[in-house]
Amino acid sequence: MTTSLLTRGPCSAARAAVTSNQGLQRLLFYLAALKFTDKHEWVRVDDNGTGTVGISNFAQEALGDVVYCGLPEVGTQLAQQDEFGALESVKAASELYSPLTGEVVEVNTLLADNPGLVNKSCYKDGWLMKMTIANPAEVDALMDEAAYEKYIRSIED
Amino acid sequence: MLLQLRRLRPLRTGVQQARPTSSCLFPDPSTTGSGSGLVLQSQSTDVFQNLALEDWIDAHVDLQRRAVLLLWRNRPAVVVGRHQNPWTECNLPAMRRAGVPLARRRSGGGTVYHDLGNLNLTFFASRKAYDRQRNLRVVTDALRRVRPELDVRATDRFDILLNGHYKISGTASRLSRKSSYHHCTLLHSADRAALSSLLRPSCPGIQSNATPSVPSPVANLTDHAPSLLWEELLEALAQQYNSEFGFEAAPRPVDPSDEALFPGVGSMEAALRSWEWTFGKTPKFRLDTRLELRDEQLGARCGAGLHVEVKNGLVESCRVDVPHHWLPPRLSGALGEVLLGERFCPHRAAAALTALLRCESGQPHRRLQNLGEVLLAGMG
Repeated sequence: MTTSLLTRGPCSAARAAVTSNQGLQRLLFYLAALKFTDKHEWVRVDDNGTGTVGISNFAQEALGDVVYCGLPEVGTQLAQQDEFGALESVKAASELYSPLTGEVVEVNTLLADNPGLVNKSCYKDGWLMKMTIANPAEVDALMDEAAYEKYIRSIED
Repeated sequence: MLLQLRRLRPLRTGVQQARPTSSCLFPDPSTTGSGSGLVLQSQSTDVFQNLALEDWIDAHVDLQRRAVLLLWRNRPAVVVGRHQNPWTECNLPAMRRAGVPLARRRSGGGTVYHDLGNLNLTFFASRKAYDRQRNLRVVTDALRRVRPELDVRATDRFDILLNGHYKISGTASRLSRKSSYHHCTLLHSADRAALSSLLRPSCPGIQSNATPSVPSPVANLTDHAPSLLWEELLEALAQQYNSEFGFEAAPRPVDPSDEALFPGVGSMEAALRSWEWTFGKTPKFRLDTRLELRDEQLGARCGAGLHVEVKNGLVESCRVDVPHHWLPPRLSGALGEVLLGERFCPHRAAAALTALLRCESGQPHRRLQNLGEVLLAGMG
């Protein structure tokens, strides 16, 4: 459907439809590639084999406005479930737990001056850190999007 | 059942008392029937022991099926929030002179002054049951019951205000894997002069993204209800907690340093006392300030610039811009270098400075010493 809209040539409504459709597709792509923990963190395995880590929409909503992100040093070795940092929001200070075993290779430095990105764009610009994946089986054992949705519904009751 | 097991052990020489263990204090809720709430009253006034007890309860008590209220107070101390900068929040030199320690808690929020007139309440619950407004209602309802004339109200920032604008309570909290705790202060009869003099920053020129405090005018409950006794307040709060949550818990005194009751609490206390936690957890910051230098012997003055970057409480970079006529650049450069990697702390800096001074004499020595003193004063 996207391709046929493109070949019809520019007209603002069609372009808007394509853009929003592309945006939706892109979001779906991101979500489809994500695995989730029961602590509401997500991991996305990047092309180069590192894992990008963030918190889910459920988590950012529950946290409220994030005012500070305490993230680990690059080079920190983490075992699965180790505390790797903390987010402070108007609600509370909450510890962050590593979804995987690996080494921190990058942290999102934008969050230092703009901690609200975690709320505004939790799956994209509000990513927290990137880490190596020492044990790929750990990724396989995490929940996919459908399982995570189910999990959220079960705890909300 | 635990008591029966003890009786079966052979008698030893010397008196052996049956000591309470944590399983006595926190029995399995399924065996106690209804009213799975606990009210504990700490017998310690040491801020690190009390903070360690909070950590212990958060980590070890199953809060899915029970709730705990901890009542505590400390000898004078300043407590900063998890992500705060003590150099911008309080007067570190004045605290040192007065023997008032600095502690960093694990919850968020702002800086508070603790003393024996400031009651702390910690409400422990599961993450699901986390409800700060409900907890604060326990406090305001209790106060209204014992002194109905008091106008006390919780705000949407979770402060409690007296007469609409004096803060008598501030709140902070922590969310862990499955548990939560919400603690708040309550000013009964704190030393307000000490409070305002110690919660004044002493280190100008700092830029950081640490979480700031929101200063507020404060009042003590006893300023407006002079007959309100400490014990009366504690009793009213415990009663209201029980009434709000449907518990029947009588307040139990506990010693937060008791390893039998709280195994591992000692090492939690040691971690909270450590420099690495208290100062080292300060978010990265920059200090840019002007130093006023003097040469007393010649009656001369000079201005200098100080630029420091501090990460994990350690000096990551340090540049002292002193006019060349005042002090040779090799010396101001050497001072900057010798502080690299050191704790951002006047004691460490003094030690580094002493080593440098040994190699100098006359005017350079005098001026370097003055530069060092002024720099140390700027480090809090």
